Amino acid sequence: MLEISNIDVCYGDLQALWDVSLTVGGGEIVTLVGSNGAGKSTIMKAISGLLKPKTGSISFEGICVNKLPAHRIAELGISMVPEGRRLFPQMSVLENLEVGASAREAKKARHNTISWIYELFPILRARARQRAVTLSGGEQQMLAIGRALMSQPRLLLIDEMSLGLAPLLVQEISQVIKDINKSRKLTIFLVEQDVNMALSMADRGYIIEHGRIQSEGAARAFLCNERIKEAYLGISPVEKAG
Amino acid sequence: MEDVIQAIASGILVGALYALIAYGLGLIMGIMKFLNVAHGSLLILGGYVSYWIFTLWGINPYLSIPLVIIATFLAGLILYKLTLSPLLKLPDIEMRVANSLLITFGVIYVLDNAMALIWTPNSRSIMASYSGEAINIFGVKLSLTGLCGLGIAILVAVALYFILSKTYLGKHVRAATQDAEAASLCGVNVQRTYLISCGIAVALAGVAGVIVVSSYSITPGGGLSWLLIGIVVMVLAGEGNINAILPAGIILGLVESASIFVVGAPYRQAVALVIFIIVLMFRPQGLFTKKRTDVYYNS
Repeated sequence: MLEISNIDVCYGDLQALWDVSLTVGGGEIVTLVGSNGAGKSTIMKAISGLLKPKTGSISFEGICVNKLPAHRIAELGISMVPEGRRLFPQMSVLENLEVGASAREAKKARHNTISWIYELFPILRARARQRAVTLSGGEQQMLAIGRALMSQPRLLLIDEMSLGLAPLLVQEISQVIKDINKSRKLTIFLVEQDVNMALSMADRGYIIEHGRIQSEGAARAFLCNERIKEAYLGISPVEKAG
Repeated sequence: MEDVIQAIASGILVGALYALIAYGLGLIMGIMKFLNVAHGSLLILGGYVSYWIFTLWGINPYLSIPLVIIATFLAGLILYKLTLSPLLKLPDIEMRVANSLLITFGVIYVLDNAMALIWTPNSRSIMASYSGEAINIFGVKLSLTGLCGLGIAILVAVALYFILSKTYLGKHVRAATQDAEAASLCGVNVQRTYLISCGIAVALAGVAGVIVVSSYSITPGGGLSWLLIGIVVMVLAGEGNINAILPAGIILGLVESASIFVVGAPYRQAVALVIFIIVLMFRPQGLFTKKRTDVYYNS
């Protein structure tokens, strides 16, 4: 479904990604894990069109999306829950959801989609007229996911879903994500710092370090891998050396 | 006492015109953070289009408003495409404001000279059959053109409220104002949204121009004084606070009317500028905004 081939991405003169390649198959949950500043969010931004790769290609369902603007990529069926949620703070919950359905087809089906989002996250129905800025962190994350789902995407990108949320809430939201993946066959590409949670949810995983993909494999295999456990789930190599 | 009531009524009517002038300016500033100092010249352009339609075909200036809207909307699209859209790449708001000020200052020269070439530098005004007519209500005289201006200002306020809060275009505008990048991730074509907003803003300047040319005379270089009024009203309302533009305009109109009694008519514009400076010093966020914010419209 999504194929990234040998991309280099730069912020001005600063290169953030080197020769990154990865694939996401239809109906999969794939996660990208790595430490802070490894380049996870940069990949998400490149897929969604916020950053343009210097070299290489990104194709979605056979269409090269490298040079398309972000709104065209959203229309093609890629939706993103950005890091930090990036809601429209002074707009109501309902308005945030409506803006999520800006693509032509999504606009037509918006009433049904909103009902579905309210079923997934009932608290959003109760808060429908409230401004987004007044919601709690968990509610804001639900709204961010709901807004991304409003475009009826075929690929959902989620950047740092667990950031700043209580573990119980993270569990609740990740269960909803898994349910959507199963019931709607929605493909999910997840970037997470909470490696344990991400690998537990995912079918496959990639590990990125310093802007380069280091390894790829089944998520379960990663969870059993001693080196990964050491690097991402417990003691860091630096601490061990000390 | 009658004089006071008359002054209040006149203040409200002229204040409504001031609000009408500020709407377009406030829209561009609120949405894109551009200070369009060519707004006054675009207003004059609207006035000339109306004057031309009146002179060539004898069409009433108020009936010419749809044609003026089309002409100035197109002028807004050209303005955005040629001069403003490249500025969106600038990284921060201060740079956008400063650069847009410089570029649109250049636009003033181009527009003013083009208008002088087409319509000559002589002052023009529309003398319709009802010009100078007034309605007498309980001894208070209300000019017909002033009342029309008030009606149009209220209509614009209601239309903007409806567009911004109820339509998809309005929601896209508000979303792009609050977070353009997040809006584009939602499928909003931010560039197109800005383009249409700029067209609407300049069309509103054109509508204000019709009211101006119906009540006052216009010259190609006369836009600057109207721009100044627009900026004062925009600052009083608070940057980007579209809801507050009509009350802010009326407040300015009332203060100007009251100042006639205190300092005399020749100094009333100076009073407006003094208020402008006081507000900038003590309430830079405007009279109607609680705190400085990037939000441009509260539904």
